[in-house]
Amino acid sequence: MAKTYDYLFKLLLIGDSGVGKTSILFRFSEDAFNISFISTIGIDFKIRTIDLDGKKVKLQIWDTAGQERFRTITTAYYRGSMGIMLVYDVTNEKSFENIKNWIRNIEENASADVEKMILGNKCDLDAKRQVSKEQGEKLAIEYQIKFVETSAKDSLNVEYAFYTLARDIKAKMEKKQEASNPPGNRSGVHTLNDTDRKRQPTSWLARCSVL
Amino acid sequence: MNFQSKANKYVCPNDRQLSLRSKLRTGWSAARSEPPLTQNEREAIAAVVKRAEKVDEVEARRVGRLVSRLEGMRRSASGPAPRSCLLCGETSKLLAPLRTCSMCQNTACPKCVIDTPPHRSPIYSRDQYMCNLCAETREMWKKSGAWFFKSLPKYILPDRRATGRYNDTELAKSLQDAGNSSNEGKTDSEPGSPLSIHPPIFSRQPSNTDSRKSISSAKDHDWTETDILSHGVSGLSLHRTDSLNQRPLGLKRTGSKGSAYSLRSIRKEVPKPITQVERPPTIPDSGFGTLEIKLAYDNGTSSLAVTVLRARGLIGMDMTGLSDPFCRLEVIPREGTYSNRLRTKTVHKTKNPEFNETVHFFGITESDLSTKSLEILVFDDDKYGCDEMGSATVALRECLKSPAQLRLALSGASGTEPTGPRLLLALCYSTKRRALVVTMCRAAELPAQDSNGYSDPFVKLHLDPDPYHKKHKTSIKWRNLNPVWNEEFLFETRPTELSRQNLTVTVWDKDYGKPNDFLGSLVLGASSKGRRLKHWMDCIKFPDHRHEQWHSLTDTQHL
Ligand SMILES: Nc1nc2c(ncn2[C@@H]2O[C@H](COP(=O)(O)OP(=O)(O)OP(=O)(O)O)[C@@H](O)[C@H]2O)c(=O)[nH]1
Ligand SMILES: [Mg+2]
Ligand SMILES: [Zn+2]
Ligand SMILES: [Zn+2]
Repeated sequence: MAKTYDYLFKLLLIGDSGVGKTSILFRFSEDAFNISFISTIGIDFKIRTIDLDGKKVKLQIWDTAGQERFRTITTAYYRGSMGIMLVYDVTNEKSFENIKNWIRNIEENASADVEKMILGNKCDLDAKRQVSKEQGEKLAIEYQIKFVETSAKDSLNVEYAFYTLARDIKAKMEKKQEASNPPGNRSGVHTLNDTDRKRQPTSWLARCSVL
Repeated sequence: MNFQSKANKYVCPNDRQLSLRSKLRTGWSAARSEPPLTQNEREAIAAVVKRAEKVDEVEARRVGRLVSRLEGMRRSASGPAPRSCLLCGETSKLLAPLRTCSMCQNTACPKCVIDTPPHRSPIYSRDQYMCNLCAETREMWKKSGAWFFKSLPKYILPDRRATGRYNDTELAKSLQDAGNSSNEGKTDSEPGSPLSIHPPIFSRQPSNTDSRKSISSAKDHDWTETDILSHGVSGLSLHRTDSLNQRPLGLKRTGSKGSAYSLRSIRKEVPKPITQVERPPTIPDSGFGTLEIKLAYDNGTSSLAVTVLRARGLIGMDMTGLSDPFCRLEVIPREGTYSNRLRTKTVHKTKNPEFNETVHFFGITESDLSTKSLEILVFDDDKYGCDEMGSATVALRECLKSPAQLRLALSGASGTEPTGPRLLLALCYSTKRRALVVTMCRAAELPAQDSNGYSDPFVKLHLDPDPYHKKHKTSIKWRNLNPVWNEEFLFETRPTELSRQNLTVTVWDKDYGKPNDFLGSLVLGASSKGRRLKHWMDCIKFPDHRHEQWHSLTDTQHL
């Protein structure tokens, strides 16, 4: 009997070429790191099953090519994604500035319910740093997206990032279900205007300050 | 040929290959600004896509298990009745009074409900209960991902390898039985009702159609999960049928007219021989059936003759578990915008069509043979939009030296969203209101009918048959080809009735002083097929949940 899982969450990594998307995923799925740069062709994915509050959650994590010429194929994967990691490189200011464009890309192509998180990668390279942690935090506050600095090389915050995103998706799932049939609302029919449309700037900031 | 003209806009919206091609940017929708991908890059991407298909299939089977589990629970439930438990039928006792489920409002005994502790709002602090059936449905909604995708994703039912999304005879039957026992609705089997003609059939069960050749053993029926996974997922794999191997196809899943009853008797009559000399070859397929073709190349005329012989074990697309298959063939990769698509005729009401049809591709050079492939897509012929039932690709080098006869395993369509003129609508059967709630959400890419390049669309909808003769209309969205309505309409009906009703939706362009222009139509319901039938059946199976889905509009105006 094949071992099974309780939920399948589809995640997506986006960001400029060379920021370390593949490295982050490699760290998370294989717990390894490769110093050489092999730019991703189009798309790829890895699977890892994690445990969240006693539930087995299978993560299918899509890694996209940052190169412009694969844009058509990579954006095709936004739609089915429940969570998206936006990655920039703290030693590359341009990749940080581009986060705004990537966010716009998400707004145009992903589901409105998608959970997001911004990662400032390569934080081990302090000497070459061009983007401060404060800049990253400021951007995150502006867009109300969680933020963390990571290092695929030193295995810093990579686990944390994926677990956090997965946990947020699970929380959203539970909230949606509660909202869809709250005790007292007995119609069982939900209209379009309920939580689907509501976007609450909830306690993300409070939780973010733990970082 | 006529297919080509039809194909452009309205037909075959879920063409997986097309979408893949557009993703790979080798097709018409290629973004011109981006440089084309190299052959190696395309292959690398295709390999990833194929790998993902396996993950999708494992997931579809998992969701299928959830669905069938819930269906089992529902079937074995006693049914709603006053003063007794919906699930186990227990009557009210002094020490164990019945609870009312806050979702479906039915009564259930304490053993068959769960407490739903009040959350957030203290106003509802009194005890809330949910019956196990509703609780399980909710759980399924979460586990299947439907909470995110807004409708049940595709699933494959276990065991019988039924592609549950299309074959719902079993459910229809059980609904009808439920109707009989609880005096709900009228249940006399009118001839002509899709539910009464056929006894319950499982789409993937063997039948008597070819019983002479069928030496199917019990093992053939009870595929374990590992069997399916190890054999089943090699979607694009190719299997040569040489003369040694030219045995009858495994008939384990033929099922055109057989009933569950006749099937059992056959199994008794043909006991499994202990030493089975001629075991039907196990054809690794993904549960989407197989296709037999012949390829012959003639270098004198530079033509490739493709004979489509037959298909076996196709998925069922209509309520009775049958389909109206035809094949569309194309040599890929295409050169330029020139498309060279051919199709076979349609064979009606079968899952095991005999096509025996030869089509010719001209202008195929010998070098094409070593570089190109033949792509075959099997579609279900339906005037409301043809759904893809499976596809296979075969390298032309197979017939480089001599004609080849091949048996191809079909891989499933991954159910991409429709393109072209389409409608997003949500169905929800409300047990509380005893009504079908249809939300007309929006439409996209409607054709322009007015000289200003726009249309002024509105939607009419009605249920058929409907004892109340309710007809609904949305508001008119002026000068808009992508209108958003989000308007809700109620049709009073029962689940038992729903399983033989159809919802007809027509989109119109409002015109003053002349008749309104027709923009497109859609029929969802018991007599629809493919993804339209799935949407309908999901709505019946999972009441009190909103099932939202895009559907292509067809340009044929019926009624
Ligand atoms: N020092 C350091 N180097 C890193 C880190 N993460 C990635 N790199 C290096 O950065 C280079 C690019 O990493 P990739 O993960 O391939 O980049 P990518 O974002 O996947 O790039 P594309 O696939 O082209 O979009 C590689 O040489 C990595 O070794 C990190 O955390 N620290
Ligand atoms: Mg990469
Ligand atoms: Zn009970
Ligand atoms: Zn209930």
